[in-house]
Formats: sequence, structure tokens, C-alpha cells
Amino acid sequence: MSVLTVDQVSIGFGGVVALDDVTLEIPPAEIRGIIGPNGAGKTTLLNVICGINRPDRGDVRLDGASLIGLKPSRIAAKGLGRTFQTARLFRGLTVLENMMVGLHLETRSGLFGAAFSSRAMRAEERELAERARRSLEFVGFAHLAELPGAALSFGQSRIVEIARTLIHEPKVVLLDEPAVGLSLNRSAELDRLLRRIRDERGVTLVMIEHVIRLVMEVSDRVTVLSYGRNIAEGRPADIRENPEVITAYLGRALDARRAAS
Amino acid sequence: MAWLTRRNVLLAGLGLMAVLPGFANPYALFVANLLLIYVILAIGLNLLVGYAGQLAFANAAMFGIGAYTTGLLQVNLGFGYWQALPCGALLAMLIGSAMAYPALRLSGLYLALATLAFAQFTQWVFLNWETVTYGAGGFKVPEVSFAWLGVPSHIGIYYLTLVHAAALFLIAWGIVRSPIGRAFVAIRDGEVAAESLGIDLLRYKALAFAMSGFYAGAAGGLYCAALNFVAPEGYDLFQMVLHKAMVVVGGLGSVVGSVLGATLLVLLLELLRGFKSSQEIVYGALLLAFVIFLPEGVISLVKRRLAGWEEPMRRHAASAEPPPSAAAEATEETGRP
Ligand SMILES: Nc1ncnc2c1ncn2[C@@H]1O[C@H](COP(=O)(O)OP(=O)(O)OP(=O)(O)O)[C@@H](O)[C@H]1O
Ligand SMILES: [Mg+2]
Repeated sequence: MSVLTVDQVSIGFGGVVALDDVTLEIPPAEIRGIIGPNGAGKTTLLNVICGINRPDRGDVRLDGASLIGLKPSRIAAKGLGRTFQTARLFRGLTVLENMMVGLHLETRSGLFGAAFSSRAMRAEERELAERARRSLEFVGFAHLAELPGAALSFGQSRIVEIARTLIHEPKVVLLDEPAVGLSLNRSAELDRLLRRIRDERGVTLVMIEHVIRLVMEVSDRVTVLSYGRNIAEGRPADIRENPEVITAYLGRALDARRAAS
Repeated sequence: MAWLTRRNVLLAGLGLMAVLPGFANPYALFVANLLLIYVILAIGLNLLVGYAGQLAFANAAMFGIGAYTTGLLQVNLGFGYWQALPCGALLAMLIGSAMAYPALRLSGLYLALATLAFAQFTQWVFLNWETVTYGAGGFKVPEVSFAWLGVPSHIGIYYLTLVHAAALFLIAWGIVRSPIGRAFVAIRDGEVAAESLGIDLLRYKALAFAMSGFYAGAAGGLYCAALNFVAPEGYDLFQMVLHKAMVVVGGLGSVVGSVLGATLLVLLLELLRGFKSSQEIVYGALLLAFVIFLPEGVISLVKRRLAGWEEPMRRHAASAEPPPSAAAEATEETGRP
């Protein structure tokens, strides 16, 4: 039984077909790698799943319930988290407060509690801060808690963004190029973190990644997109050998490199 | 200067305002009353612009809606002031929250233009719907009687405004330090990310617009009673620039900064009283100078120089300087910034 289903989804922007009849079945506690050349539709796929883009056709289901037509905030409430291609910490909030935004869905105090700084609200805030601190410890960043989001390095922001998504205990997390721009050290740290998230938390991860080493090492299965179509799917070792992938993906990557130089 | 903490300064200010009617002449008291009204306006605008990051230009219009509603309900429909005042604030709040719908689709400059168009439209209504609004000449509003307290009207209104300003300050202070304030700043710093964490944009934008509308509407109702007169030019574009200047000079994303900004600009307004024609230029220039040279406002200087003025880290995005350790690590990592 899959936790996340993408069922024959198509979407176009003007003349561009970004996704063409894409189907994915992702079982619980799996790390699914998504690879494909630039413009293949990877980010669009995540945007369709999390409700930023509405597909022209097809369905997306989380635990069997359709997500189509729901606002991103509702979809988040159903247990879907995501990180972005460029990390998006809230620059004016501290790292701890950033983590507490991740707990937004669990805050119970309302307008009146806030306006009058009620005792219940303050107690809840202390409790949320405590949980946020523990989650920062999970990724080894407790010492950064009081820094403003804007002060973190690129790699640190990445990790905090992942932790911020995890804190609400989502069932599925979508990661858009989590390793881009990371140093080798941090990238290895990320490997370990992703595995721990899967193994200790039982979270399903859907990860777009250009760093082939990372995808092949941590993914349980890999899906290859090209021109908006799902052209191959399988275990990393099989994908590496797949001739269609080699021509479509590696071939195009080589073309791109030639064009760039 | 360790005693010069935020708490002490604010309490001293409140104390001074509370005893002012004992020795100030009526004109000075009127200026103090005006100052309190601008404090309310600046705090309300800062919640919307500085915290929630919505670049709206309708604050003066909301101020006008509060004043016109409070005045017209009394003059045209025979309401008492005590019924008319909450009606004005609530109507501005309702109209404000309706603005969240366009704000859901528009952002930045487009939202600024849409709200500006709305503000011009309210001006047009004030000016041209003469049978109801009395047109360009405006209309007089009866004095509010405080005979039941045994004080003259202007003193009663002054204290009413002081109580409003203090209460609305405390409410804003509570809000910005709560999960709601955090959601506002999250929307300001990254709408898409905020939404992906479960923050309902419509709901929180509506709340920010509603609150700021309520503040402006209440200020309008109090202003109507302070002046006993309502006319369109009190709520025009110059007013809007004035409110904006207060928020920017004081500090975007700081409730206390709004109080400082309103105080400084009202005092400046008094100094320039004799040079009516130069006022607009001075405010425009001041706004520009702060945007360029001190974008975090006066409050940032105060925070740097005095202890006890720290606010929860709800500052404006431009501010944060990376501490040495994080900066060092940032350079160690190569790749796309
Ligand atoms: N909002 C949009 N409006 C118009 N076109 C879009 C939009 N979003 C994506 N596209 C187009 O859809 C196609 C797929 O884009 P997408 O961003 O999903 O690719 P990607 O696989 O994530 O690429 P990259 O590896 O460069 O991140 C591209 O041709 C892109 O230009
Ligand atoms: Mg992409």
C-alpha cells in the first residue's frame, strides 16, 4: 500500500508540457530519488503534490485521500512537508522561531490568548520552544537556536529547513535538491540525516537531486523524468545500467555541458 | 544609563501623558492628543506592513472611514458617540479584512497600487457623495460630553484616547510575541514556505488587514471627537505618507519603534506648523533618507546603544548581520549562494 500516489498527472504552462501522464507509487518509509535533466519537470512534480500547482489531469493521493484542489496549507496539515530548491528560512526570525513556525499547525492558543498574552499561551509557547530545541538537537544545531535565520550559511539553512519540516512529524517530505551547494562534509552529513529520518521516524522522502552520488547512495528507488515523462523507475543499480536513462539523461547532460563550454 | 530601559521609558511616557492635563495649555493638550492618535495609527500600520509585510497604502483611507463613520452616524442618524465610535472601528476592520482577498493574488507593487486606488476611491466618495458626506467642506460634529465624569470635553477625549493608545499598544505587543506574530513574519519573509508549513495565507492576511483597519478606524473615531470636525483632506495621500514615514522612521517590524516614530514626527510637524507648504517635501525627504540610510529606523539605534530594548527577533529582513562563526562557515562552503 503506497503512502503517496501520483496518478496519471499532466500539467502544462502555456505551450510547455511540464508533466505528461506521470504516475508514481511510493510506499511508506522509502527514500525515492527523482532525477532528470534541467527542465524535466521535477520541481513541477513537487509543486503539484504540495498544492502549489494544480494539475490539468490526474490525481494525487496521500494515504488514499485525494489532495487535488486543497490549499498548500491544508495539504501540509494532512502530513506533507517540503523544502525548496533555494532554502527558505524566515530571515527575520531566529532559528528557534523558524522551527516553531514548523509547529504552527499544533498551536492551540488563539487571537485572545495572543492579544492578552494569556498564561495558557505563554505555557504553550514554552512547550513549543522546548520541542523546537529538541528537534534542533536531532540535527546537531542546538547551538544556533538564537541566531537570526538570515545569519546562517547556505548549508546550515538547508539542514534547518529540513528539520523545520520534520518537526510536525509529516508522513511524507518532498526535498528539492537538498545537497546543492553543500560542501563534501555537509553532503555526507546529509546522507546520514536522510537515512536517520527514514529509519528513526519512518518518514517517506521524495528527493530531487542532481548530485548523482547522493541519489544513488541513499535512494531505495529512483524515478527518472525527461521532458515531463516518467521514463524509468527502479533500484539505483538498475537505473545506472538502463540504456534509455543513459541516452536521455546522461546524453543530455553531456550536450548541456558541451553547450555551456 | 542602565535605568533607561524600554519599560522605564514607556512607563515614564505614559505617566507624563497621564498628568499632562494638569498643567498643559489646551493647545499643547491637543498636540498630545494628536500624538496618541498617531501612535495608534503607526502601530496598526506597522502590524500590516512591518510584520505581515503587506505593502498597503490604505491606512489614511481607513482612518477616514473610521472618522466619517463615527461623525456621520452622529450627525445624520442621531447615534451617540459611544455607539458611533465602535461602529467606525468595526467598519474599517471589515473593509480592511476584505482587502485580504486582493492581497492573496497581488503582492509588492501591485498590492500597493490596488490599495492606493482604493484610497483614492474613498477620497472621491468623501468629496463627491455630498448628500451624505457634505463634500469638500466637511462637517462639524457635536462635542462629546463628559459631564457624567465632571470633566470638560477635551480632557475627557484626551483620556479616552490615552486609554485606547495604551490598550492597543499592549494588544499589539502581545500579538507580535505570539504564534500569530510569528505567522505574520513568516508570511513577510516567505509566503510559499509559510504556506508549506501550514499557515493559511488568507486567514493571516485577513487578520493583519483587519487589525490594522481596526486600529486606523478607532484612531479615526477618536480624531473626529478631538477635532469636532471631519473633512476629506485629513485623510488624503499626504496623511498616508505621514503614517508611512512614522513607521519607517521608527522602525519597520517594531511596535515600540512605531511609538518613537509617531512621537518624533508629530514633534516635527509642530516645528513646521508655520511652514505648511514645506511639510510635504520634508516628510517625503525624511522618508527617503531613512529608507536609504537607516532602513531599520530609530529603534535600531536605540537597541544598539541601550540595554533592555531587545525585542523578539521580529526584525525586518534587511537587518541581520551574520555572527562571525556562521560567516566563517559560509565561506567554507562553496556553491550557489
Ligand atoms: N510557473 C510556471 N510557469 C511557466 N512555466 C513553468 C512554470 N513552472 C515550470 N515551468 C516550466 O516547466 C518546465 C519544467 O520545469 P521544472 O522547474 O519543473 O524543471 P526541473 O526539472 O525542476 O528543472 P531544474 O533541474 O532546472 O530545477 C520548464 O520548461 C519550466 O520552464
Ligand atoms: Mg527544479
